[in-house]
Amino acid sequence: MKKNVSWLAVAFWLVLIAFFAWDWVASDPVNVRQEPPLIAAGSGQAPSGGHCASTF
Amino acid sequence: MTRLPLAAVLAAFFLALAWFVSLRQAVLFLVGIGMGSVLAGARFGFTTGWRRLIEQRDPSGVMAQLLLLAAAAAVSMPLLAAFPTDLGAALGPPSISLLVGAFVFGAAMQVADGCGSGTLYKAGMGVPLNMTILPVFALGSFLGSAQLEQWLQLGAIRPVSLVATFGPWEAFGLTCAGLLLLGLAARAWVGKGASWFNRRLFIGAILLAVLAILNLLIAGQPWGVVYGFGLWAAKVATAAGLFDPAANAFWSQPVNLANLSRSVFTDVTSITNIGILGGAFLIAAGRSSAAAQRAPLTARQWMVGIIAGFVLGYSSRLAFGCNIGAMVSGISTGSVHGWIWVPLAFCGSLIGVRIRRHYAF
Repeated sequence: MKKNVSWLAVAFWLVLIAFFAWDWVASDPVNVRQEPPLIAAGSGQAPSGGHCASTF
Repeated sequence: MTRLPLAAVLAAFFLALAWFVSLRQAVLFLVGIGMGSVLAGARFGFTTGWRRLIEQRDPSGVMAQLLLLAAAAAVSMPLLAAFPTDLGAALGPPSISLLVGAFVFGAAMQVADGCGSGTLYKAGMGVPLNMTILPVFALGSFLGSAQLEQWLQLGAIRPVSLVATFGPWEAFGLTCAGLLLLGLAARAWVGKGASWFNRRLFIGAILLAVLAILNLLIAGQPWGVVYGFGLWAAKVATAAGLFDPAANAFWSQPVNLANLSRSVFTDVTSITNIGILGGAFLIAAGRSSAAAQRAPLTARQWMVGIIAGFVLGYSSRLAFGCNIGAMVSGISTGSVHGWIWVPLAFCGSLIGVRIRRHYAF
């Protein structure tokens, strides 16, 4: 059982890392010149991320 | 795996995020690691807390959750009033979709033994069922978001913000009154003599409240989990040519279209999700295998658990969040939808614990 669980954990992390690597390569490059301010509060910029509570 | 090499990997990922993405995302990753560490270290399970209240009349988990909500609201509500343009609340619309979604989510989370955050941190700790559930949770979350428009057409009103309607301190007073009522209901259910204080859970609650507030301050939006899952599955479906986001009401919105074309490392919810996985892994590393301590599941239990995981993802989108997005973030930022979510999800959990018992989990 322990051996099976270990293989499952290895597969889980490998698939996750593969997904993130594929996504990084396939997505638009990050423009670091448009980096958001470190702290949103007081930045004067409205939040622009997606959230599970929003309908859009 | 011992903790030191894993901590080095997480530190390297933090530096890579700071260099190649943004300092904000790197710091949010640290916040996520903190969340995962606290959830796993304190074994702060929302699902388990509710189940222990229902089955064993043990209110300690629920009391810690009420403390978390009050502590997060005490700071979040004044912050939202002080920075009305910079910070956003977790405002979901009261709707038929919310009623159905919250009830079904409450049932499914008991069967799957984890809500959104619970599935994440248990997957990070290497619990087999939760690791297996994560991809189907993501698929369900994606399909729920893709069909959200049809669900909203069944009936919905505009989101209601207590902070915008009454002001921050009045909203906090109302929130505390509501939490007090929930606490009194729990005390009435368990009767006298039950221990309501669990030091480990109470410390976990305060730490999670601090991290949720940091999430709001840094990201400009409250802590969320399931949006990130849906985004991951939507990216795969779009890349595989199975889904056209431009033809979908939800995914054609500018925010979501932009997120589909950008790396998930730029998405706030995704980066805290990754941090939670990493933080929980860090806690589990060096411990004896969490999975090895559990009895292996039967084929039927696996099937039921995986179906519950899919339903969990789908219903979380109809409910405008899970225990984190709807309950913790909704209530602590003054959204009425959080107050509708809690009783519906609890009623669902009453069914869910029976289903769980039926399948001998």
